[in-house]
This record gives sequence, structure tokens and C-alpha cells, in this order.
Amino acid sequence: MENSIYQVYEDEIQSLEEEIKILTEKYEDGQQESTFFSDEEILMSIKSFQREFQGESKGRESPSDLKAQLEGLETDLSFLMKFTGIWLTSHSKKTVEKTGSRTIQRHRLSGNCHSLPFQLEFQLLEIKNKESVSAVITDLNIIMESGEYSSVSKFVSSTEEHGNLLQFFRSLSSYAEWYEHRRCTFLHFKNHRMVEVGRDLWRSSSPTLLLKQSPLEHIAQDRIQARYPDIVKLPEGLLGDYIVLRNPKLSGFELMIVWKIHIDEEGRAAPVLDLLTKVPEQVLEQKIATVENAPTCFRSMLLLFGIETAVENLIKVVGLKK
Amino acid sequence: MAPPSASHYPAGLSLCGAYLGARPLLWASWSPVPTAQGKERSCGAELLLPLRCYILGQCLAKEGFPWLISAFPLARERQRKMEERRAYSQHGVLSHLETLEARAHELALKQEETEQQEEKLARLKARVQELRLQRDELRAKVDLQQKRLLGKEGVMTSGVPDAAQPSDRAVLEWKIKTVQAMLQVFYLTGISGKLTKRGVCFCVSTAYEGTYLDSYYVDLIIKPAVQIHRHSVPVFIPLEQLAKKYLQTDIKRFLSVLSDHLNAYVGRRYQADQLQEHFSDHLEGTLQRNSLCNVLAFNYNVSGKKETFLFSAKLLYGDLCRSLPTEAIISCTPDAPASLSEKTAAHSDVFRRVALHKAFNSFSSAEESLDQAP
Repeated sequence: MENSIYQVYEDEIQSLEEEIKILTEKYEDGQQESTFFSDEEILMSIKSFQREFQGESKGRESPSDLKAQLEGLETDLSFLMKFTGIWLTSHSKKTVEKTGSRTIQRHRLSGNCHSLPFQLEFQLLEIKNKESVSAVITDLNIIMESGEYSSVSKFVSSTEEHGNLLQFFRSLSSYAEWYEHRRCTFLHFKNHRMVEVGRDLWRSSSPTLLLKQSPLEHIAQDRIQARYPDIVKLPEGLLGDYIVLRNPKLSGFELMIVWKIHIDEEGRAAPVLDLLTKVPEQVLEQKIATVENAPTCFRSMLLLFGIETAVENLIKVVGLKK
Repeated sequence: MAPPSASHYPAGLSLCGAYLGARPLLWASWSPVPTAQGKERSCGAELLLPLRCYILGQCLAKEGFPWLISAFPLARERQRKMEERRAYSQHGVLSHLETLEARAHELALKQEETEQQEEKLARLKARVQELRLQRDELRAKVDLQQKRLLGKEGVMTSGVPDAAQPSDRAVLEWKIKTVQAMLQVFYLTGISGKLTKRGVCFCVSTAYEGTYLDSYYVDLIIKPAVQIHRHSVPVFIPLEQLAKKYLQTDIKRFLSVLSDHLNAYVGRRYQADQLQEHFSDHLEGTLQRNSLCNVLAFNYNVSGKKETFLFSAKLLYGDLCRSLPTEAIISCTPDAPASLSEKTAAHSDVFRRVALHKAFNSFSSAEESLDQAP
């Protein structure tokens, strides 16, 4: 009979302890999420903490342990950012709901992937069951400057619809790599500078059917001596998606190479290149086969020699080099 | 009357005596009454101690007990019984003494028990009070914090007037938690990892449309050449081939292609699981699949207005990096009407374009639209 009295008290103690635990977590989360310390403040704290602490030994971790832990974490983080190319500039999260096994957090993230900036907002629902934690993304919002890149905006909206954060990052990564490569290639032809970054990226980018490394390309690069700034024009700048080849000695004749980066439904980025010719009307009337077949020939050239050599060859043609 | 055996009495009372016929020579040795604290505490036992000698000496006194008995109210009821036995010799007296001793012992135990219970109750009450106080304090703290946060949306600097200046340790711990949170975000991007003494341990996470699924580890050693030390990638993923092709030249490329394979596999598996879970009424029999989940075979039914049509499907996923099939071979039973063959083509198309667990939705909606058509 007395056991039931004990049981009542013990039950209350247990429920109070659980409530205290939840409240403590909520308070700590709130503190964590609402405060912000700048890097200088953190450095100052580290220094003063180490000074204060000398001689004392508490049960908790010493400042050197904490400092070592922080340094380890920061090294890991900077390695990851450098390796993947995804630089996170700011991240904030807010706990919206936290019950026994469910946690819903709202995240805000912004950063750059290579050179492309992005901003994200999403809700992460985590459910703890016995073996594992399951995570589901809901309510994903992506802000990306896509501008004229319609394939990017289409891709972004379909990703938002399905909450496909992982695919977003993977595709963004490969898109950004192609984007950067294109920019470097354009820069190379504009200024005739051996851009190391461009070349390395080129070698390491996904070998789709359009790219093929051949010894010819190496030779071509090494032999480039002439400058072509007068032939190569970038009307939309280095970040545009086409390049215009025009010889000032030949007026009315232009070659436009359009280089778009397309993202398919599975999120894979691939370059799509095309050649457009601009010839005077008299030439058009004559229906010269070379002009009409130019786009097809360009595509075969791309398949055989790769992007850079194909463009190089076209430049030589326009520049009337032998 | 034979002397009562020791087993009739509670522990602590061992009667070793010999009836020698001479009563004063009767010895009874009593070991101390054991209590929870190992001390003699019962007042009854204490009372009895000085009385023992007296009683022994007076053991023949037939009327030696009334005052003793009255000291134990519980024993009063026995007095009547005792009195009946007064006519007996010293055997009755001794057994009575023993009974009293037992009684006293019991009482002592009960008293202790009650005291312990009261103590325990008091402790529990105190604890409950303490916890209630703590809980109320925390509640107030959290409410204040929430009000402050609602008033000032977003980020606060550390110079908040109503908060105590945070300690250096707190600042450091805050920074550690922030960096840990960012590392957790990297998990969501698909490739995360940790530097190890000999290289890097990468974690490839997989997801299908917002639901994060398994994650796989690849532990790399950098020196003398880049090689895989350990991994948790399943055997049917061509890890060795990928490593041979990409690992030496471009680790990022290697991880990217591996991630494609793993995500596609996990996606296919998820679709098959979802199909079995949510569309079991459409499935006839079991869904057959291989471990890589790139060959699926199952029979399904689509119900129209009038009847149900049975189909059998075989899905082949030729591209291991995609989660949609490259080939969908649909067939119906040999005796089925000709109109069904059109449907097989349509179904095949749907399976190749739409995720497996969503394909059936489009079938039922297609059926509805067909039925509605004249």
C-alpha cells in the first residue's frame, strides 16, 4: 500500500526531471541561436581564458582542450570548403519545435559555389527512432542569380518543389565547375594567357562525349604564340555564354560560338556548344556548302578534339593563319 | 513439554540452555536483536535486558508477569492465554518469555520500518519540492528569453544589457557549437568528411527527393599514394573500378561519381520500397529485385470501371547512375483483349519517365480519364 504513495512521488520526480531536461535544452538552444560573437571577440576570449585558467584544474575541460577542439573543427571545415568548392559564408538555425523524438529546425544558409552565389532557406525535420535518425527537408527556398540561364532557373524550381537539397548541391557543384571552366577558356582566348586554373579544371572536368584529351591539344596550347584580342570578342563579357570571332580585315563575316551549360532532370550539368555563322547576303545566295555545313563540322570537331582545340582551330581559320 | 526449538523463534534468539531441573541454572543466551542498522534499537528488547535476570530468578513465580504484560499492549491479548497456562511449570514461563522476545523484536522491526518509510517519504517530498522550484525557475528563464527573442528578431550581439557578460568559456563553447553546426550542414550537401592522421575520411550522404537515406564512408590514406584504407560501400557498387579510374588523378571526381552511383542505387531501392509499402493492393505477388536494384520484376493490376487488368512488368535500369529505368518491358496475359496492348506501350512510357512509386498514380488517373471518355 505504501508503494503506491512512493510511486506517485517517483512518477512526479521523473516527469519533473524530464521537463527540466527539455527546458534546459530549449534555453541552451535559444542562447546558442540568438547570440553572435565576432572572430575578434572569440580570439580575445581564448586568450583571456587561457590566462585565467593557469594553475586551476576543474572537472571540466581545460582551455587548451577546448582550443584544440575548436582548431580541429575549423581545420576540417576549411578543408571541406576548399575541397568541394562550396564556401559557406553564413549559417543560422533556429529550433522551431523540439519534442521527445521530433526536432524541427529552420536553417538559413548563404555561400558561394566556386564563383556562383546562392542563398537557401529550409526546414529540417529530424525524427529519432531506436536505430537511427531520419532527416527530411521541407519547405526549401533557393535564391540564385540565374538571369538569362533558363536551365538554371528551371532546375532551381524543380529542386525546390521536391525539397531536393542534396541534388541541388551536387548539380550546383558540377554546373559551377563548367561555368568556371568556360570563363577561363574565354579568358584564355581573349588574353592569350596560359590560365593554369582553366587547364586543370579542363582536365579534371567530367569527360562527357564532347571532351576528349588528345596529344594534339597539348601541342596546340604549347605552340600558341600569337595574340588574338582583335579577333575574339566577348560581347557579354567573360560570364556570358557566347564568343564572337571576327577578322577586322574581313567585314561582314562572323562566327559565333554559343556555349551553354545545360542541367538535365537528374541534375547533371553538361556543356552544349553550337556554331552560328554570319555571312554577307551574296555569300548566302551562293549557298556555299562550307558555310552550310559549318555547324555540323564544328560538332564533329568538338567530338574529336575537345572544346579548346576546336575553338582554337576556328580562330586560326578566321585569322587566316596557315 | 519439550523445549521449543530455535526454529520457532526469530533470528537473534538462540536458546541454548539445558533444563537441569534447577531453574536458576537455566541459561538463555540471546544474541542481540538485529536491526537494519545493526544496532539494538528496540526499546522492548532494552527493557527486557535488565529483566532477564529477574525473570529467570522468578521463573517460578506464577504471577510475575502482569506488570510486564501490561507494558506491551499487544501482549495483553495473550495474557488471557497465558493465564490459562499458568498452571504449567517453568516451560510455559520460558516459552512465554520467548514469545514476548519475538514480539518485541517484531515491534522493533516494524518501528524501524515505519521510521524508514517516513524518512523516505520526507526525502521524496523534499526532492519533488526542489525539482518543482528548479522547473519553475527554468520556465521563467525560458519565457523571458522567448520574449526577448520575439522582440528582437534574429541576431543579438553579445552586449545585451539584461544578460550577464558571458564567460570566456561560454564564448568558446558557443564558437565550437557554431562550427559543428556548419559541419552538419556539409552532411546535407552530400560530401562531408574529417581529416585523419593519415589522410581523410569522407562521408558520402544519399537522399531521394528531400528524404535523407544511408550514408557511406570512404577512408583514404594520402601517402605513399592515394588509396582506400576502409570503406562501407556495398559490394555491388563498382568501387574498385572507380578507384582505379579516378582516385589517383582526381579525388573529387572519384567522390562525385561514387556519389552518383550510391544516390542512384539508394533512389531505386527507395522507390521499390515505397511501391511495396503504398501500392501493395496493386501488386500481385512479390516484387522481385536484385541487390543493386537495377532489375525489377513484378505483376500489377490496374482497375478500370468494369474490370481489372493484369500486367507484368520488368524494369531494367541500364544506367547505374540514374534512378529511372532505361527499359520497361510490360506484357499482359495471353488471353487479354487487343486494346490492352496499347496500354502496355503507354505504361512502359510512364515507367521510364516517372518515379516508380508515383507511376501508379498516373495509371489510375489515366484510367479515370479513359473511362470518362465516350
